[in-house]
This record gives sequence, structure tokens and C-alpha cells, in this order.
Amino acid sequence: MFSNIEKLGGRTISVIEELGRLGHFLLTVVTSLFSRPFGWKELVKQIAFIGARSMPIILLSGLFTGMVLALQFYDVLARFGSVDLMGSAVGLSLIQELGPVMTALMVIARVGSSTCAEIAIMRNEQQFDALTCMAISPYRYVMVPRFLAAVISIPLLTAIFNVIGIIGGYIVGVFIKDLSGVAYMQTIIDTITWSDLRMSIVKSLIFAVIVIWIAMGKGFYVHLEKGVSGAEAVGRVTTKAVVASAITMLFADYIASSFLI
Amino acid sequence: MSDNQTQSKTAQEPSKDQVLIQVNQLDSAYGERKILKGIELSVKQGEILVIMGGSGSGKSTLLKNMLGLMQPTRGEIIIDKMNINTVDKQQMLKLRRTMGVAFQGGALLSSMSVGDNIKLPLRQHTDLDESTISIMTRLKLELMNLAGFEDLMPSELSGGMLKRAGLARAVIMDPKILFFDEPSAGLDPVTSVELDQLILELRKAMNMTIIVVTHELESAFTIADRIAVLYDGEIVKTGTVEEIKACDDERVANLINRKPREVQIDGEKYLSRLTEGAE
Amino acid sequence: MSFECSDHLNYKVLHLTGEVDLSNSSKVRRCLLDILDNGQSVIVDFSDLTYIDSSGMATLVEGLNAANKKKLTLAIANANGAPLQVLELTRLNQVFNLIASVEDIKE
Repeated sequence: MFSNIEKLGGRTISVIEELGRLGHFLLTVVTSLFSRPFGWKELVKQIAFIGARSMPIILLSGLFTGMVLALQFYDVLARFGSVDLMGSAVGLSLIQELGPVMTALMVIARVGSSTCAEIAIMRNEQQFDALTCMAISPYRYVMVPRFLAAVISIPLLTAIFNVIGIIGGYIVGVFIKDLSGVAYMQTIIDTITWSDLRMSIVKSLIFAVIVIWIAMGKGFYVHLEKGVSGAEAVGRVTTKAVVASAITMLFADYIASSFLI
Repeated sequence: MSDNQTQSKTAQEPSKDQVLIQVNQLDSAYGERKILKGIELSVKQGEILVIMGGSGSGKSTLLKNMLGLMQPTRGEIIIDKMNINTVDKQQMLKLRRTMGVAFQGGALLSSMSVGDNIKLPLRQHTDLDESTISIMTRLKLELMNLAGFEDLMPSELSGGMLKRAGLARAVIMDPKILFFDEPSAGLDPVTSVELDQLILELRKAMNMTIIVVTHELESAFTIADRIAVLYDGEIVKTGTVEEIKACDDERVANLINRKPREVQIDGEKYLSRLTEGAE
Repeated sequence: MSFECSDHLNYKVLHLTGEVDLSNSSKVRRCLLDILDNGQSVIVDFSDLTYIDSSGMATLVEGLNAANKKKLTLAIANANGAPLQVLELTRLNQVFNLIASVEDIKE
């Protein structure tokens, strides 16, 4: 019986140690934002990877999400005789909630996993040690470009998701459910306010930080994973990073929503 | 301004005996696990010191400490008159620029070509013209027999080539001190001998102080001015190649003579280990 | 490190004193390329040069290349000590025209 308590205590200590490490990691990344020289080339490369190349998946998922939303809302709104409100229903759901959350999930799947693996492999191959010994800060050179690229790209991707989702809803509403396209767009313009848009932006910024921070942080400390090494360790931290960033993001979503709605 | 502050790199007779690196009473541990105990080491300017030891002797930990990649639990490391664990960040960065490190496996950045990897320290720390940087890089590649490999990516290189590329990067700024982690591991004998010769030439031409961590006896005897033998986290003997060969300490002799450690068998205990759990 | 230029016959003599390294090789580079741009061949005098690093060597290689392109010549006079060892290590002693002293230059 006592061995179980011991195990629990051990696990708790590990978790707290890890939170401490990740916290210190984030702090160091943020303070390194102002270090010179600034890697513009690397930043552009990362924006291309995180932002530009995520476009196809965002466009597709945004479109389908919007379309499904329209179908769902049509069903519900029809029972209240309010189908003409569909535009704002779809729009509000996307802008307040699904845009930021779905975009973050898509980015976690694509960027979170690969960035975590990349950083973990760099750690295993002593590339960070090499940078440190060359008097080049790994934080400034490797982490900062990825961090900034995420913070710039993810809100933009969210906005694109929202727009394409609204278009998806339009397609379903107008061409499948025979609603008035003008009415659809009008309800959107009428009901959606700046505070809704602000919520979208704030959430996407918070999610961006969560996604990139956890992906890089877990990869960076892969050598401290107990019981595994090499390729197996890379696989393990990548899985953990994806799960942890998804759950943290959803939790942050709840907190943000309770403050902003 | 910088001209006056640059230390003279020419070998004047008195400075040949000048101690460049001093390790005092070093203890090091990973959490509870103690790895190094009471390490005492000094490296003179222009000398080649080989740190030898079997697996688990603490070689990598000692190297990490000397490179400032981990903090010791006790003791100090003094490089070029600076205590690397107490000196301020700016001073440490300045010191690092005079040190080159060749890691096992090369440790090249996978996202850049071999050439860009080697040019990295020059581009980050100097104002040299791109044309100068390009020629410097090619000079080093030629030296390492990697001519023409500039535009390849690290993933396209063999293990031996990666090592040599890593060495090229380590010496691109003509450092005062070169650290080499397991140069011969994974190399064929011919390349290994060539690498040994290169290390000797680098010291001769550039008056480099070189610290090599290895377990390859032949290389060690070829290149070392002095050898420090590490066993179980302690230095059991430091001396010239002759002194090490003549040493009658069992641990040193076994390493030199490549004798496997004797496993003492207690018959009864052995039998019970083999049959534990069986009915 | 200091350097001064003088003339010998129709050559410019670039006399290097002290140590050429990362901190000053770009100055040498500027001077060397300027001389060549003016259409004069160069003799680099190593008599008082105590040390030269790879950046200095790369500068001389660049100079040699520029000289060849302009059908001029670049020679190194009185290479000795550490600089000579660097020339040997980099095998550049087989590339440069090495002469014992400035006066030994062939017309």
C-alpha cells in the first residue's frame, strides 16, 4: 500500500518538476525575443511552414465545419421558426468558438507534432549543445523564430477559417436549404460585433502560445524523459505534446470564454 | 581597440608551460547519482591532453562540465584565467568564441547545408565579407578531405563525413582550444589515422590546445602529450604515454592491455539467480 | 597589427607586421584589393608577420584570384615560422609564388 503512495508522490513531483521546466522554458523564450541579432530569414521560413503550408488543411476543415454547422443549425432553428437567423448562428459559433479551437487543433496535428519531433531530434543529436558552445543562444536562434511565426500565423489562419466557414454555411444555406443569401450575410453583419472578433483574436493568440510552447518545450527536454531514449523518446514526447497542448488549449478556451462572453 | 586586446597566439617559450585550463576538486552528479569525484586536471597551452576511460567512467560528464554545459556540485573549472561557472554571461560568450567543440556524430544543424553549418559561427560573430567566409570554409573542407561537399545536407553524409564536417565547423574560427569528443568512434582505421595526423598538424600550425576524449588506445598513444585515465568517476593516473604504459595500477593496466574485467562467481548465488522464480 | 605599402620596381610591397586575424584581416583585404584595382602587382612581405589565421589566408587567396583575373601577380616574400606552417598545413604553399625576399622577385 505504501508503495502506491510512494509512486503517487513520485509522479506528483515529476509533474511539478516538468511544469517548472516548461514555465522556465516559456520565460526564457519570451525574454529572448529581444536578443540581437534577429533571425529574419528563419522567421520567414517558419511562417511559410506554420502559416502558408497549413492553408490547405485550414481551408478544407473550415469549409466542412461551416457546412456542418449550417446543417445543424438549420435543424434546430427550424423548430423555433427562426431559420433566417442561420447566418449569425453560424458566424457567431465560428468566430467565438470553433474558429480558434478547430484551427488550433489542426495546427497541433500538423505543426505541433512535427515541431516537437524536430526539436527532440535536435536535442538527441547534441545540436543545442553545439549551438551553446558556439556562443549562439538556442532560444534566440531556434525557438524565437518558431514562437513568433506561430503567434503571427495562427490568428491569421483562424480568421481565414472563420471566413471560409461562413462561406461553407452560405453554400449549404443558400444552395441546399434555399435560404436567402442576402439575409444570411445581413444577419452576420447585424449581429456580430467587435467584441466577438476580439474574442476570436484573443483566443487564437492564447492558443498559438500554448501550441508552440508545449510542442517546443516537450521536445527540448526529451533527454529528461525517464525510461526511454532515442527514437522511442522522440515518439513519446511528440504524443505527449499533442495531447497536452490539445487539452490545455481546450481548458484555456473555457477560461477565456467565461471572461469574454 | 581589439588589436591591443588580442592575446598573442605565437608560441613564446615561457608560455609553452602556461596552464590554460585548470580543473580543481570537481564533483559532478545527475540528481542523486554521483558521477565525478574530486577531479584534478590541468592543461597547458599548446598541449594535447587525452582523457581516456571505459564506458561509465564519467568521460562525457567531465567533458560537459569543462564545456560549461552542466554545473558541478563542487569544485571549479578555470579556463584562460576565468572561472566558467561564476564569470558573467558576456565574458563566457567571449570565451566560447575562442573554443571549438567537435561533437560525436558532428551535431550539425539538420536544416542547413554542410557549408552553411560551417559558416554559421563566422556569420554570427564576425563582420567578414562573404567571399572571405566562403574561401575560409573551403580551406577547412579541403583540410578535412570534404572538398565539394559544401552544398550537401547533413542527411546526405556518412557518419565519418559528418564527424569531419563537425570538426571543420569546430576549427573554422581557429580557436585557441579544441575539444574533440570520441574522434575515432565509428571511423575506419585509415580515416582514423588521418584524423590523428590532422589533430597533430592543427596543434603544430595553429598552436592549438587540444583535449580529446576517447577510448581508442592507438589514437591516444599517437597524439597525446599527456593522458588522464578516468575510472569510476575518478582520475587514477595522469602522465605521459610512457608513464601510462608503465603504470602498474590495475585499473590503468587493464585498460591499456585490454583485459576484460574479471567477474567473480559465487556458485550458490549464481545458481539461485539463474533459477529464481522457477518452481 | 600594422601594415604599410612601399614600392619596389613596378610592384607594390605590402609589409605586414604582427598578427593578422579575424579582427583585422578585413583591413588587409581592403588594402590588397585596392592595390590590385589600381592595376599593380603585389608582393606581400611576411618578414615581420608573426601569425596569420584562416581569415588572413582566405584574404590572400582572394587577392591571388583577383590578381590572376587581372593578369597581375601576387607573391609572398619571406614566409617563416608560424605563417609558413599555416601555408604548409593548408597546402597553399603549392599555390602561391613564394620568394625568399622582396628583391628576389622575377621581372
